[in-house]
Amino acid sequence: MTKLLHFLKSDLARIILALIFFISALILEQTVSKVGALAMYIVALLLSGGRVFVDAVRGILRRDLLDEKFLMSIASVGAMIVGEWREGVAVMLFFLVGETFEHYAVRRSRASIRSLMDICPDEACVVVDGVEQTVDAEDVEVDSVIVIRPGERVPIDSVVISGNADVDTSSMTGESLPVSVSPGSELFSGYIVMNGMLKARTVRLSDESAAARILSLVENANESKSKEESFITSFSKYYTPAVVIIALLVAILPPVFGLKNLEDSVYTALTFLVISCPCALVISVPMAFFGGIGGAASRGILFKGGNVFSKVATVESVAFDKTGTITNGKFEISRVICYGISEVELLSLAASAEQASNHPVAECLRSASNDILPITSASEIAGRGVVAKFDDCECAVGNLSLMHELSVNMNGLNIPDGSVYVAKDGVLVGAVVISDSVKSEAAGSVDSLRRLGVKRTCILSGDREDNVKRVSAAVNIDEIGFQLTPEEKYNKLEEIVLSSKSTMYVGDGINDSPSLARADVGVAMGGVGQDSAIEAADVVIMTDSLSKLPEMILIARKTINISWQNIIFALGVKGLILILGLLGFANMWLAVFADVGVAVLAILNSMRALIAPKNKIT
Amino acid sequence: MKIKYTITGLDCPNCAAKLAGQMSNINGIESAKINFLTEKLTVETELDEQQAYKLLSAAATAFEKGIKIEK
Repeated sequence: MTKLLHFLKSDLARIILALIFFISALILEQTVSKVGALAMYIVALLLSGGRVFVDAVRGILRRDLLDEKFLMSIASVGAMIVGEWREGVAVMLFFLVGETFEHYAVRRSRASIRSLMDICPDEACVVVDGVEQTVDAEDVEVDSVIVIRPGERVPIDSVVISGNADVDTSSMTGESLPVSVSPGSELFSGYIVMNGMLKARTVRLSDESAAARILSLVENANESKSKEESFITSFSKYYTPAVVIIALLVAILPPVFGLKNLEDSVYTALTFLVISCPCALVISVPMAFFGGIGGAASRGILFKGGNVFSKVATVESVAFDKTGTITNGKFEISRVICYGISEVELLSLAASAEQASNHPVAECLRSASNDILPITSASEIAGRGVVAKFDDCECAVGNLSLMHELSVNMNGLNIPDGSVYVAKDGVLVGAVVISDSVKSEAAGSVDSLRRLGVKRTCILSGDREDNVKRVSAAVNIDEIGFQLTPEEKYNKLEEIVLSSKSTMYVGDGINDSPSLARADVGVAMGGVGQDSAIEAADVVIMTDSLSKLPEMILIARKTINISWQNIIFALGVKGLILILGLLGFANMWLAVFADVGVAVLAILNSMRALIAPKNKIT
Repeated sequence: MKIKYTITGLDCPNCAAKLAGQMSNINGIESAKINFLTEKLTVETELDEQQAYKLLSAAATAFEKGIKIEK
């Protein structure tokens, strides 16, 4: 019963009922009685337009006469009075249909944003005096101890104090591989603990945690309006009053000069008013941007406002940070040099010596060999390397200073800078060249950017020349800047910004917030990273994948296209019908189409912005 | 003081902007912003919470039937 009541209150029910009455009235009018038909029309009118009339009266009360609902009410009631019953009802009925579509479109867009936002629990399990309590995440103070069980999401940014587990960070970073955490590891809100129970100490308030920051980013998007949106708002400011004045003239002048009777000229003026309603325009353009922001958000790309779209769409130059942006920020072996022993032996020796170290280079060496030999002792020399004793020999693994310290003979050897040297019993047996690996999708993404019209690509890095050169060659980037301080980076970027139409800077936000802010489009990668980066950037990419860059451009172009299609379509159709109406060729039916028909088509078109474009780059 | 509300029942971004404009004109409300997409109303006010809520929800109901404000 309540369900039925609920349904009867819905727009759909009102449309159906009003439509039934409308059709019966049409039939009655042709066949039986005109009075009966009028009664049916009025019922249909009240069903479809009741709320609009109420709102129109409210509009009058607050002296907002150019409200679309006011225009619609005037037109509809006016048409009823001059005897055009069918038109009078149709105006309201179509208006209701149009609004229903509008609401549907808006709901879709909101739902897509919300699904992205549903990444963080509202409650946290806090340990107080050894007892676990479930409380609102908002009430948890910094330095509280929380418990997170398998399958649960981390409610607040915290640091693990006990327990080991794999965590799924995909909703925050887009990284699909789980990450292992152990005491000391940092947890961001929104991570999902997959196995194992963790105790953690909170380091932030729930409001300031990673997930909350991302939400507020999306919530505050759109406060900066796009060029297209501002165009429409300022346009409608002049447009509506102008049309109302013309409508008045159209109604009054012809009868005064005896050209038409009053009834006809009022009808023409009403038609004119209906056509003039700016709602198609006013709603469809921001809708396109809502759609674009929503669609992009569901792909892990957060646009910080409508104004960013046009800059992204016209990007001409792209400057990249290197470490963590083009490269993974993880070490990998790129070359092994051996003297007198085999590569397998060398790697086994290095891995075995490093078995107790937790230096990132040690991790990389260990993963290169399955043959770990037992050691009797090992000592780590900070900043240099490791010296390990085996049953039958002693082995030193480390940088050049370690070799010098142990007075290993290095004469006549050509080994690249930054390699890890391996010495056995004081004699150099080889070296391993370790470097940061380039992201697998990087080259393809740069290629896609170029095909999307990017003319200039550049790496701006603080790293050594040979490393930057190697990376730029691997991903085919035109220019490089190396050994740059953050300030030099900024200056170099400024030079690029000044010489091209729209420049994008892509960085991970470590030491490059000024550059993110300076570029026309600052793109911060790996959404949860740095506060200052999120603040300075125009677009935040939640994942670490560079393939989001071409995708972002495609989404921006599609959104801009849609908004212009809407503007041109709505203005074109309206302009045409306005002229026809003035000449007396357009009736109310055409006027209704010009208004709600165009609005619905424009909104449907806007909804395409929600669907991310296919990865078709030509 | 900054207060955030959830605002539901708004029809279009245009109405949202109009309502926000009216709310900003209320005595004691310094600024009011409505994000139509996320249905969030953010006001900057010197009034206490109860008073602000009263005035804001009165403005909302006067604007259009069915607009609701919740903390």
